[in-house]
Amino acid sequence: MNNLVDVAIEYGPTLLGGLKVSLTLTILSLALGLPIGLLFSFGVTAKNKAFRYISVFFVEVGRGAPALVLLQLMYYGLPNANITLSSMASACLALTWTTAAYSAELIRGGMQSVPSGEIEGSHALGMSYRDCLRFVVIPQGLRIALPSLMGFAVLLFQATSLAYSVAVPELMSQAYSIGSSTFQYLPVFIVAGLLYAAISIPATWLSVGAERLLSRHL
Amino acid sequence: MEQLMIELNPQTTQPVVQVKNLAKAYGSNVVLRDVSLSVAEGSVTAMIGPSGAGKSTVLRCMNLLEQPDSGEIVIDGHCINAGKKTSPKSLAALRRSAGMVFQHFNLFPHMTVLRNVSLPQERVLGCSREQANEKSMELLKRMGLADKADQYPSRCSGGQQQRIAIARALALGPRVMLFDEPTSALDPEVGVEVLEVMKELASTGMTMVVVTHEMAFAENVADELVVMADGGIIEKGHPGQILKDPQHERTRRFLRAVLER
Amino acid sequence: MEMLKAIAIGLPLTVLVTILALMIGTVVALPIVAGLRSRNRLIWLMSRGLVDLLRGIPPVVWLFILYYGISIGAVRLSALQAGVLGLGVVAAAYLAEIFRGAISAVPKGQWEASSALGFHRATVWTRIVGPQTARAAIPAYTTFAIGLLKDSSIASTIGVSEIVFMSSQYARQSGSGILVFFVAAGIYILLSVPLGLLSRHLDIKMRKAVAR
Ligand SMILES: Nc1ncnc2c1ncn2[C@@H]1O[C@H](COP(=O)(O)OP(=O)(O)OP(=O)(O)O)[C@@H](O)[C@H]1O
Ligand SMILES: [Mg+2]
Repeated sequence: MNNLVDVAIEYGPTLLGGLKVSLTLTILSLALGLPIGLLFSFGVTAKNKAFRYISVFFVEVGRGAPALVLLQLMYYGLPNANITLSSMASACLALTWTTAAYSAELIRGGMQSVPSGEIEGSHALGMSYRDCLRFVVIPQGLRIALPSLMGFAVLLFQATSLAYSVAVPELMSQAYSIGSSTFQYLPVFIVAGLLYAAISIPATWLSVGAERLLSRHL
Repeated sequence: MEQLMIELNPQTTQPVVQVKNLAKAYGSNVVLRDVSLSVAEGSVTAMIGPSGAGKSTVLRCMNLLEQPDSGEIVIDGHCINAGKKTSPKSLAALRRSAGMVFQHFNLFPHMTVLRNVSLPQERVLGCSREQANEKSMELLKRMGLADKADQYPSRCSGGQQQRIAIARALALGPRVMLFDEPTSALDPEVGVEVLEVMKELASTGMTMVVVTHEMAFAENVADELVVMADGGIIEKGHPGQILKDPQHERTRRFLRAVLER
Repeated sequence: MEMLKAIAIGLPLTVLVTILALMIGTVVALPIVAGLRSRNRLIWLMSRGLVDLLRGIPPVVWLFILYYGISIGAVRLSALQAGVLGLGVVAAAYLAEIFRGAISAVPKGQWEASSALGFHRATVWTRIVGPQTARAAIPAYTTFAIGLLKDSSIASTIGVSEIVFMSSQYARQSGSGILVFFVAAGIYILLSVPLGLLSRHLDIKMRKAVAR
């Protein structure tokens, strides 16, 4: 126990630095992945074949392959195609892919659960297809999907811990290097774990709260 | 004065709605066969009939929520032919001239009452937000709901929600209002609020087509009664006449079932 | 072809880790669910805390704690043991939540009707609530199992030579990374197809059994 406190004090700043990288990676991947996910959510049922095939490919592979595979694909694989990215950029690309794929499905699910009566209502009022999407389907679909998107964001944050395998200096990789230089594996990993939990657990509560809050007018 | 003339002489005015030889099937299930109907300006047509008769389908075909297989629909001069492809423009024009009120209201739950009524005016008629809000408030007042403007629909009773839906449709200045069982989802007591509003609307000369199970409304407010069964119109005419002396056996059976409850 | 062979050597371990972790998870989830449904505040709080902690820390951290951090005397867990155990207890937390949700989805009227009929508690669980819970939990359970299949790849980080481990190794040797990892991705997608089908099949079967 003393050990734990000592480690926390001594290596706290390094670990917090790693946590900052983890959070940055999470936020960047969400910022890039969510808009693409919205696009794909239309793409997977689009009439345009090229758009549909591309969307289905990215959604199915992004959801079907482990994040670890995507990470390694971007970091170790892309150089074969003469594209060499920094470890941060390749991790960001991989997790953006994951985000886009999962959010596409979550958003599509949200939009599908907008009651058809409301869509009919907007048609009967003579609103155009685009207006119906813009004012009725998308806002409500996103709102229905929001709690599960927040839940996904927590999982994404945890998945950034895998980016250590492509040398991103995030929390896990800091913990590992401290551990392997001091052999204090257990306390270091516990402190790192608690740091992850300190973000994940409240964020999960937040998503549960959002679910309650948003179902208020329904 | 104008109203008086209409009542005295419904035949001379041009019909606002004309439905000719409408037919519709879902797969092999024939739901409408050869339905024709015309609705005079300022008149109220009540449509009754057993469940599954096709009443809702007729109404939904009128503003193309359902695509008919064949037939022709003319509302306020906008003609739609089932055989031909409808341009988005004429579809929009047709839907603007027909306001629709649903059994389950279909309000937008994520917008306030005021936004529910104003948004379609802004998007469909191109009104400014101020114009739209002004018109909406006027209509909400008329529906007795001015104080609900900033609430969300879920905070309103069913009767209130249905009146909001009526206001939302009226705000677009339709030439005819289509009602599909507007009171069926409501407690009888609350339904009365809605029926009152509809009665008032009828008295101002609004052309209305009302699918309903409210026999009192059909008898006292409607000018014309249409009885549907098995995808066709089996009888139509003056409500008092039909209710007193139905010509068709199927009508008699239906009326007996409804009135004996 | 040679590549496919090299990767496929990892297949048995991927499947093994997934199945063992799922089994551990399912069994351990049951007492946790009981705790989550307990009226005793202390038991409830401890179960709740356990679930939140298990889910709040990324699986890879659990694996590292078990693999590098724990030694009983001079004996350390093997990579496979640590991987299965770590993924198993994390799975238990997620499955406990799934089961809890499914139990509370059984309408209250079912309990009331069972009491009114004078059923034993055991009868209620085995005949009334149990089947309906299983039915409600199946879609989420299979979705989770597919997720676990992919998460089994995390065991590669502590050296379990499953698919991803073999892929990285081959990629490093052969220098054809892009194709290797697409093939690996393809294998995971192919593996999850039968699970998806099984879920659909069970769902339909249960729907018939518990017609609503
Ligand atoms: N979307 C649909 N797909 C298939 N069949 C349909 C569909 N909508 C309606 N039907 C069928 O069409 C027939 C007429 O339905 P409709 O809703 O017009 O009846 P209704 O007279 O309004 O009855 P109710 O009084 O129950 O509202 C019914 O047999 C119904 O099953
Ligand atoms: Mg109907």
